[in-house]
Amino acid sequence: MNPYIPVLIVLIFGLTLGAILSALAAFLGPRNPRPEKSDPYECGVPKVTNANEKMSVKFYLTAILFILFDIETIFLYLWAKAFPQLGWFGVIEIMVFMVILVAGYIYVLKRGALEWD
Amino acid sequence: MPDFSILITHGVFHLFAALITLCSLMVVVSKHPVKSAVFLVVDLFLLAGLYASLDSHFVAAIQVLVYAGAILVLFLFVIMLLNLQPEELKGLKFSAVEAGTLVISLIGFLITIVTAFKGDQTGLGDGSLDPAAIETAGGNTYVVAMKLLTNYIWPFELASILILMAIVAAIVIAKKDQKKPAAQ
Amino acid sequence: MGLTADEFTIQFIATLIKFAIVAGLLLQIPPLMVWAERRIPAMMQRRKGPNRVGIFKWRIYGLMQSLADTIKLIFKEEVVPEGAQKAFYHLAPVFSVFPAFLIAMAIPYGPDIHAFGTIIPLSVIRVDVGFLFIFAVSSLAVYGITIAGWASNNKYSLLGSLRASAQMISYEIPLGMSLIPPVLIYGSLDLNKIVEAQNHFWKWGVFLSPLSFVLFLIAMFAETNRAPFDLAEAEGELVAGFHTEYTSAKFAAFFLGEYVGMFVLSCLASTMFFGGWQIPFIDVQKLDELTGFIGVSAIFGHVTLMLKATFFMWLYVWVRWTVPRFRYDQLMSLGWKYMIPLGLVNVVLTAVVLAAVRFS
Repeated sequence: MNPYIPVLIVLIFGLTLGAILSALAAFLGPRNPRPEKSDPYECGVPKVTNANEKMSVKFYLTAILFILFDIETIFLYLWAKAFPQLGWFGVIEIMVFMVILVAGYIYVLKRGALEWD
Repeated sequence: MPDFSILITHGVFHLFAALITLCSLMVVVSKHPVKSAVFLVVDLFLLAGLYASLDSHFVAAIQVLVYAGAILVLFLFVIMLLNLQPEELKGLKFSAVEAGTLVISLIGFLITIVTAFKGDQTGLGDGSLDPAAIETAGGNTYVVAMKLLTNYIWPFELASILILMAIVAAIVIAKKDQKKPAAQ
Repeated sequence: MGLTADEFTIQFIATLIKFAIVAGLLLQIPPLMVWAERRIPAMMQRRKGPNRVGIFKWRIYGLMQSLADTIKLIFKEEVVPEGAQKAFYHLAPVFSVFPAFLIAMAIPYGPDIHAFGTIIPLSVIRVDVGFLFIFAVSSLAVYGITIAGWASNNKYSLLGSLRASAQMISYEIPLGMSLIPPVLIYGSLDLNKIVEAQNHFWKWGVFLSPLSFVLFLIAMFAETNRAPFDLAEAEGELVAGFHTEYTSAKFAAFFLGEYVGMFVLSCLASTMFFGGWQIPFIDVQKLDELTGFIGVSAIFGHVTLMLKATFFMWLYVWVRWTVPRFRYDQLMSLGWKYMIPLGLVNVVLTAVVLAAVRFS
């Protein structure tokens, strides 16, 4: 059996369940809208400004560093899969790979990009 | 019905292909940037399904992990960060010449890749890309790993330098912005 | 795939049965955990916790409180905040539920069953990439949170979702790195093969690679946004985080996704580091032959894994009521400055020691 048939079944089930839960409230609950109630919650006081403020650039930097280190982790997984066959050759190979990336990591650290202030 | 499984696989491939085309269209047509980004997430997730239906398990997993799970997070962050309203994007328009150049160069790039890698052998006995042969050789992930770490060792090591360059570039750009008082 | 029609039918029916069992199990997790999260702290603080709600005169330790709460929750009015992005607001719970269910199906819940002339694996999903599948799909869980926070048109939601997603992606790297040493040691990406390799008590991952376990445990708490890393919903600062504006069944959907995610990581921790369905000093796979009944080993193995997972679920609650919350900068520097270098050192050390032992 194709290993992705179960994946499809579960995917369809998960999406349906989520959709049902998301739609359920519209059918079961009462409807009693009032302007005060549908105001975004700000601890009870009227809304001051809209929620579309510009956010700190730190989040952007985190996301981009995440992508780069994520790719590194994937290469490590590939190497781990072939580790028994490659032996010492593989170890040296991945060391070279890692030394280059650790240099990048140290640069990030030295530039203070990991300081969250 | 031994062909049942194969029939499903083919059907799934075409279903995914159709859905991907639809989603890609929605990415381009949507007026709202977040809507485009979310359609792109769905698009890239479906693309993983396409790879999976071609028995390319590892690429499928990486497709979800890197593209749908990491790069699109960055896209969403940037869109939320800049918080561009649809009205602000009205002025952004491609001229016909620009669009044409882009399309032609992309197609040229694709053709170059296809011709460069055409006839590249897997080295599994008969040299075919037969899924059964890959299965007996230790599975798709294992074959990809061995190929990458032996035959394609230079591209592999160069990839680390590429990542290093990207890290440095990201820091330089982000730090340049931070000299101004950042909006917290 | 070279399967005959009969085998295909057997595997397909088996898949449906396995799927129904696991799905039923997963839907029980949130009510049970809601109950546990009230009773366990009550026990710790020497008070009673919910103990009245029951069916007729049977109170069963207030277990029915969760049922009552669920019914109450889904019959509440749904309040959509003004100015919300409607489509995304309704879509976010879907994004939060389906990745949790997908990854839960990839855990091996017991040893393979040899029956009907074929091998039936006890995980619903078993693909070539092994647990990279779990990583791939769990990386999609960020979207539910990001979209929910952005679509709510609420500052608290937006801040909470940005915090939560930045935290989740930051700890995904140490989480991934902490599982590389077990892969090196057991030589496989397939979770079931990893469990089979841990066939002796002293071969458990926690003994062979203790540092990995510590890293995994910390990353596990951060990935699920649980205390002490629950900054995304720090009540004092952000009301409830990304689901501030969600009510009724949609709120329940986020709960479902969150608790199933916790359960999966508990199962994964048991599988990678505590022998999964292996019972210490007993060969589970032999139980079928010993007793003469097919499926005995599967049941015993399954119960063992559930007990191990229950321990981790209990640990979640225990830690929540014991350890104070981190500050956000502390959280990020723990992830980026300590856990990633430690994870890399761990990988290198394991590789060198293993290579010295195996290839010298």
